[in-house]
Amino acid sequence: MTGGTPTARRGPGSVVVTGAGAASAYGRGVEALLSGVLSGEPAFALVERFGTANRRVHVAAAMPGSPDLLTELAQAVSEACDDAALPAAVRARSPLFLAVHGDPALARAADADQPGLGPDAFTVAVAGRGGLAEQGLRCYMSACVSASTAIADAAASIARGQVDRVVVAGGYLVEPDQFALFDAGRALADDGRVRPFSAGRRGLLLGDGVGAVVVESQESARARQAPLLARLAGWGRAGDAFHPVQPHPEGHGLARAVTAALQRAGLAGADLGYINAHGSGSPHSDRAEASALWLALGEAAGTVPVSSTKSLHGQALEASGALELIVTMLAARKGMLPVNAGFLDVDEECRLALVLGDALATMPEYAMSLNAAFGGANTALVVGLP
Amino acid sequence: MTAPAPQAFPGAAGVLGTAGLQAAAVAAGLAVSASASWPETDSDAEVSPLPGFIDSLFSPLIAEVAGRALSRRDRGCPRDQAAPDGTVIAIVLVTARGDVASAAQVAARVDAGRRVPPLHFFQSVPNAVAGYLAARWQLTGPVVCVSGIRAAMDAAALLIEDADADEALIVSVDLGLTGGAGDRAAAVIVTGPTGRPEAERHGPEGAA
Repeated sequence: MTGGTPTARRGPGSVVVTGAGAASAYGRGVEALLSGVLSGEPAFALVERFGTANRRVHVAAAMPGSPDLLTELAQAVSEACDDAALPAAVRARSPLFLAVHGDPALARAADADQPGLGPDAFTVAVAGRGGLAEQGLRCYMSACVSASTAIADAAASIARGQVDRVVVAGGYLVEPDQFALFDAGRALADDGRVRPFSAGRRGLLLGDGVGAVVVESQESARARQAPLLARLAGWGRAGDAFHPVQPHPEGHGLARAVTAALQRAGLAGADLGYINAHGSGSPHSDRAEASALWLALGEAAGTVPVSSTKSLHGQALEASGALELIVTMLAARKGMLPVNAGFLDVDEECRLALVLGDALATMPEYAMSLNAAFGGANTALVVGLP
Repeated sequence: MTAPAPQAFPGAAGVLGTAGLQAAAVAAGLAVSASASWPETDSDAEVSPLPGFIDSLFSPLIAEVAGRALSRRDRGCPRDQAAPDGTVIAIVLVTARGDVASAAQVAARVDAGRRVPPLHFFQSVPNAVAGYLAARWQLTGPVVCVSGIRAAMDAAALLIEDADADEALIVSVDLGLTGGAGDRAAAVIVTGPTGRPEAERHGPEGAA
């Protein structure tokens, strides 16, 4: 079955985002991320963190030095909780949903050390450093939809009243193993630029990305008079059932995810004022995503402004969904939509209303962030201005 | 429509995995319609290779137990799909450590300054074998991978409750620490505690 759309049910509660924290090649903090993205200048540079002598590609978007993932995640969680004005006692009752590739120490650990390592142990460590709850933790390892899936799960749980608040964080810092794998798979752009939806696009580039958001019931946020960053209006997840690593060429799964997210939000496609696309810059993936948007949005796919901020901050793998949702929320609030960088020329199979040249000054009432991953996994998150 | 869950083979090493998954599913308010494990019988000595996946039993184990569970779910279906048209099945993988065999091999090659085989790129995340299963059995629901059984059950229950899926295939896998000993996997197929009306299962035709 690939044609039907499940009825998009949801719990009755309204869900909001009350805080955000981030780190990227543009620096630490959400302000650095937003100003970097809105500068329109891609953050890609030669990799200095580790040797790339045996690789085809030598470029990524990385912070200086060799930052530590646990430290950066804890910092982003703290920034998000501070932003949400969460007192320590409330943080200690808030569970963490963490999106990472795994425990970064595991691949090089001796057998004797392995039982003490793993994603659960790493999640406990991040939660502990952030002063979060010791119970109800989850670790998501669903490739490039890890963080967006965690956010959708948090929203769905909150809407059903199962929990008042979840801190969702995702983290990826450019390191030699994934770099070698993506290089070996010829997935990296050998021209050193990410050109989503453009003719002549040659692939993706990795980028540091750490993002944390406080997802909360509107009722809870109101009760503690918390600042609102955005409403998390809709979320959708669906699979392609097509191939281990290739997207469905017509974007069937992504289209169903978008449709479900819009249904949950009670919106039509034309209600969207901005889409931060998955937009990896890979030939097949971008074509499938453009098709998905036309399938799900109809004619609105030709008018809603679209950019992929991966063209600026790079592909943050498991963290992408958190980092890109933060960019989407902050850009919408500021009324400036990030440019789709690296564009060379129109690809007739990717006809979308791309934001080209400079950031676009407009304040969308609703915006959507999309992610797709190996396994044909797709997610869509819709946010509205509070 | 669904086959009763078969009894796990007494005495096999996989019994605890299946029993544990079933118990966790029930605790999460889910009904189990089929289950499978590895090893399940004394003849389960060697996991069948999975084309395109190399150097690690992680993905072949997932494919093996998932295939067993799916084939037990509904024997009236065509060979190439797990359920009748219109049934959306999510895939939820759960692993405490992930594919440590592949990760260790990649790390060793990187540390030695060597190239890594391209096939390792494709199996570097658990989603790849989930994609294989989805394509093989026409499973169109969401694909999720988490680290804990409880998280997997809660996520599956919510997907079903919110109608993102009618059922979920939950596969638990972990490799032993050395040389293949202790590699084990188990799978269950779960539905919500009460079936949904047929009309609700088929929502408005989507753009896809």
